[in-house]
Amino acid sequence: MISRRSLLKQLGVSSAVLPFLGNLPSFAAAATTPRKRLVIVFSPDGVVKKNFWPTEPGPFGDTPLPAILEPFTPFRDQLLTLEGVHNRIAGDGDGHMRGIGCLLTGIELFPGNIQGGSDTPAGWASGLSIDQELKNFFQSNQATATRFGSLEFGVLVPDRADTWTRMVYAGPNKPIAPIDDPYQMYAKLYGQVKDRENMQSVLDDLQEELASVASRLPAEDRRILEEHTQLVREFEQELAAPRETIPHQVPVLEQDVVDENDEMPRISRMQIELLVASLAADFTRVATLQYTNSVGQPRFRWLDISEGQHDLSHEPNSNEEAQEKLTKINAWYASEIAFLAKRLAETPEPGGEGSMLDNTTILWTNELGEGNSHTHDNIPWVFLGGGLGLKTGRAMRVEGGGHHNRLLLSIAHAMGHTSLERFGNPDYCGEGPLTGLS
Amino acid sequence: MLFRSFTTRGAAGVILAVVLTASVTTEGSESDGEAIYREHCQSCHGEGGAGSDASPNPLVGDRSVSQLTSYIADTMPEGEPEAIVGADARAVAAYIHATFYSPIAQDRLRPAREELSRLTVRQHRHVLADLLGSFERPTWNLTDERGLQASYYKGRNHDRRQLVFERVDPMVNFDFGLEGPDPELFEPGRFAIRWVGSLVPFETGEYEFIVRTAHSAKLTVNGGWEDQPLIDAYVKSGNDTEYRGRVFLLGGRTYPLRLEFSKANQGVNNEDREVPTNASIELAWKPPHGVEETIPEHCLLPLQSPSVYVATTPFPPDDRSIGYERGTRISKAWFDAVSQVALETAGHVLEQVDRLAGCKRDDPERREKLQRFAGIFAERAFRRPLNDELTQRVIQQPFAEAPDLDAALTRSIYLTLTSPRFLFRSLPDEAQQGDAYDTAARLSFGLWDSLPDEPLSKAAASGKLASDAEILEQAERMLRDRRSRAKLHDFLISWLGVDQPPELLKDASQFPEFTPRIAASMRTSLHLQLDHLLTDATSGRASDFRRLLTAPEVFLDGPLGAFYGVDVPNARAYRPVTLDDGQRAGVLTHPYLLSLRAYTDDTSPIHRGVFLTRNMLGNVLKPPPEAVTPLAADLHPDLTTRERVDLQTAPVGCQSCHAMINPLGFSLENFDAVGRYRREEQAGQATRPVDASGSYVPRDGDLVTFDGGRELARFLAASPDCHEAFVEDLFHALAKQPTRAWGEDTLPALQQRFAENSYDFRMLVVDSMKVIARPAADHSSRVAVSLGETR
Repeated sequence: MISRRSLLKQLGVSSAVLPFLGNLPSFAAAATTPRKRLVIVFSPDGVVKKNFWPTEPGPFGDTPLPAILEPFTPFRDQLLTLEGVHNRIAGDGDGHMRGIGCLLTGIELFPGNIQGGSDTPAGWASGLSIDQELKNFFQSNQATATRFGSLEFGVLVPDRADTWTRMVYAGPNKPIAPIDDPYQMYAKLYGQVKDRENMQSVLDDLQEELASVASRLPAEDRRILEEHTQLVREFEQELAAPRETIPHQVPVLEQDVVDENDEMPRISRMQIELLVASLAADFTRVATLQYTNSVGQPRFRWLDISEGQHDLSHEPNSNEEAQEKLTKINAWYASEIAFLAKRLAETPEPGGEGSMLDNTTILWTNELGEGNSHTHDNIPWVFLGGGLGLKTGRAMRVEGGGHHNRLLLSIAHAMGHTSLERFGNPDYCGEGPLTGLS
Repeated sequence: MLFRSFTTRGAAGVILAVVLTASVTTEGSESDGEAIYREHCQSCHGEGGAGSDASPNPLVGDRSVSQLTSYIADTMPEGEPEAIVGADARAVAAYIHATFYSPIAQDRLRPAREELSRLTVRQHRHVLADLLGSFERPTWNLTDERGLQASYYKGRNHDRRQLVFERVDPMVNFDFGLEGPDPELFEPGRFAIRWVGSLVPFETGEYEFIVRTAHSAKLTVNGGWEDQPLIDAYVKSGNDTEYRGRVFLLGGRTYPLRLEFSKANQGVNNEDREVPTNASIELAWKPPHGVEETIPEHCLLPLQSPSVYVATTPFPPDDRSIGYERGTRISKAWFDAVSQVALETAGHVLEQVDRLAGCKRDDPERREKLQRFAGIFAERAFRRPLNDELTQRVIQQPFAEAPDLDAALTRSIYLTLTSPRFLFRSLPDEAQQGDAYDTAARLSFGLWDSLPDEPLSKAAASGKLASDAEILEQAERMLRDRRSRAKLHDFLISWLGVDQPPELLKDASQFPEFTPRIAASMRTSLHLQLDHLLTDATSGRASDFRRLLTAPEVFLDGPLGAFYGVDVPNARAYRPVTLDDGQRAGVLTHPYLLSLRAYTDDTSPIHRGVFLTRNMLGNVLKPPPEAVTPLAADLHPDLTTRERVDLQTAPVGCQSCHAMINPLGFSLENFDAVGRYRREEQAGQATRPVDASGSYVPRDGDLVTFDGGRELARFLAASPDCHEAFVEDLFHALAKQPTRAWGEDTLPALQQRFAENSYDFRMLVVDSMKVIARPAADHSSRVAVSLGETR
């Protein structure tokens, strides 16, 4: 299940034994200024517009939220929906490919060999994604640098690397694979701690071994084993040395959950617990959580829906049954995000004020505005939480066709990266960040 | 018979120096060596040759009595060499030699023993590979066929129903143009190819693999079907047409390789959107010490081998201060690496364990099965069955105390792989040293640098590894295994002093045809030459060591052939070619060694001479007293290289070593700085004939002269000094312990057997292993017996 070899490769092997959280940035530097965190959540195949967007812009007041957003009701004061922001990046690739590939990058796909259902074939995105831009920005400063800089979570992302399965890019032609195996993510976050426990537990036995072997050796040969014993003792002391880390609840994962469609709810919760823990421990301040992929085809059997999501999303709006099912599906994604918000809301900000949700913004988005029309207009953007300092508790509508590059700039600026003047294709950056968000 | 002492090799050599009071010994009288030493030598060289302030280095070395005699007669006492000559010189030389100077005398003064040694880095890596590999299905059979098995498909997938044909491609470097492989069999724009087989690299180290294509491709190296590809170019994007990935490989082992190519758009199947484009693909690599090149045919096999566990943890290098890698020292860096690699391996096991232990995750007996697996793992790692105490500590305790099964297995494996029973060889534990399990491990470490395999362990367990005949039978069997070939190959590379070679560079104005590609081909050519002998030695065929020194052929491919002025058909494949009307002589005149031991624009008789003196003839040389830059040619425009070297090394302080080095090195003067044969050389404006005459004073004999590489080779092939050096070097590489630990008779006995067996390399390995298979501690007269010696 856990691909440990690939994990070690990711970490660089040396971290396997000298993991130790203490020497890493940001554990020492307590939060002198409040932390700002961003979590971007992706779900696929568009939404049911009539059950997603609030009817009018303005404060939610006491009006019930649209059906898909209903799970956010407890957090409505910290909720902002943003309508009228479009992904107008053109070029190669079909709607789904450009939908996910240009979503966070704001730049065209390279020409390539991946043929979509329409349009010309394409390759990878030609620029980095906004979360990686922020990661680089945070990592370049001692005060905001963290152990990982960013973490890429996934849930049931197919095991193939192509334009439809990758949202995050470290640079042109540099897609980053999300980790959709919670055990692998756990090993990445805590494997070193486990390794240390395992090593510590046997060092006494190892010393016994050395003593038992050494006692039978002639004096000339005993010297080298005495040296060896000394090295084991030193190693034991190194392992026992106290390490600085922010105390936090380490999640206990259910065992033996397999990577299968029907386990999606359990995997989702496991990933959310790991995400909350890694934010609480300040392992990272930037994260993404990608549910399946563009053209995702999960079957929501636990909601009594047997068709795949993507097939349903192609049904016309006149198919009421499909609309209802898609509404339930999207409301399920919303409920998972609400659970994430709840877990953050009930966790006090370590060393700071308020809850973690007060210092975190969750952004929920999608590669399409609507599944059957494959439109890139009115991409769903839902903000939850206080990290970006947005004016929440309301629905906002941008008039006159706002390019989503401007929104990506707004996010960067709200995270403190105010020197960023253009992002992605500069032609879509217009007047700079969108106004009226905060 | 003389011995060399490796404890002094490369360090203190002959130092008979400085200041002496004048004195005359009457010519013709009975000479008392001891008295002469006390009177004339001891004031500087100290009592028993221990040294003094005037001459602090101890008087030890490996010159023979006759070599010492002429040296003393010519140079001693310092400033007054005429004081001790003739019989006096001979008497004092004999006294010095027998009492403290010679390795034998040193041996008597400080008896050698088999020292407790940890695994060397090479051993550690190979042991882990074989330990994990022992749980895989039995290995496969190698064939002599080379290249990769290729399957060509219609359409864009590797779908068996669409298979058009299969064949063996010698390498992957195709330009199909717009037409594709065959317009009659394939649509030009839609076809797919899969190449499968194995890699057999020579070098150990980091390999970079390169796939060049404008289409979809995936490369997997040393991984199974389920593993992530090393290079995933399934998506073609933008202008990217070159993809790279790195992986660490152990030389001499075989690794599965799979390359999948598809000329067609991927994703949604839509032919209408496809436009005609050129199709090409190349599978290249950059091996250690090599250049980027299409992976050559001789490193590819058309059968898929099982994958090999290669731990990625870096190790600190082993101590080589006495000429061979050995594990008699430990350090913190070493322990950290040991601990880290134990953890890395535990992680790898954890990932695979259900398959290896033959159970499923929800198996009700999973605990029992994993515990049994851990027991077998420890037994193989420790090279013997576990006793109750060990079973309790290494298996039962972790499984009883760990919070879950993953942790239990991790702890057990970590403890196993950090235990001294795993890390140290031949522990004299519970009087077990010398039992059949110890014998088995001695054989496997000697021949493979690794663990006993199943037949060997079974022989040990069933008491079939006690007699000399049984040991011999196993050694013969093990020699036919690829791991022997890999180890012996590494040994020969190290014997030739090119295991850690500097970059080979030449003066571009003088040798414009010399390129990094040529340099890399030279090394490949050497590998193939050695492999040729080893193929015989490891297949039970005669393998005359002297062939290494005298074979007139050089392995050349097209470009390297062109460089040496011969036409080699089929440019990509290497084949043995006789060069320069038979003037070549095996490794001695091999292009790589000649070029490496030369300056960028000129030969270096000194580098070549040092190589011959030390590596080939086994003499000790101390480092030069000071760093000296060679005399610039333009300062002495009329001199040949030989004359310049003679001029520069003329001072008496240089001559103590250069009197031996130079005449050996000069014999290769017919080969220029890039190893081309020449009869003349430029000395300034003049063209002068090359003087390749040389000489050597054997440790047990009189001056020998020879002219040119072939005569040098003939001399070396028959030289006891050369045989002795080779026998001892091989023994050290196999045993990682000094020959003298098995007694003073060991080396002469092995050397005599070598001669009796017509210098057969394979027989020498077997004879050496017969010695090494028994502990040195009970060697007493065993050696002679086991070798059937009748001295």
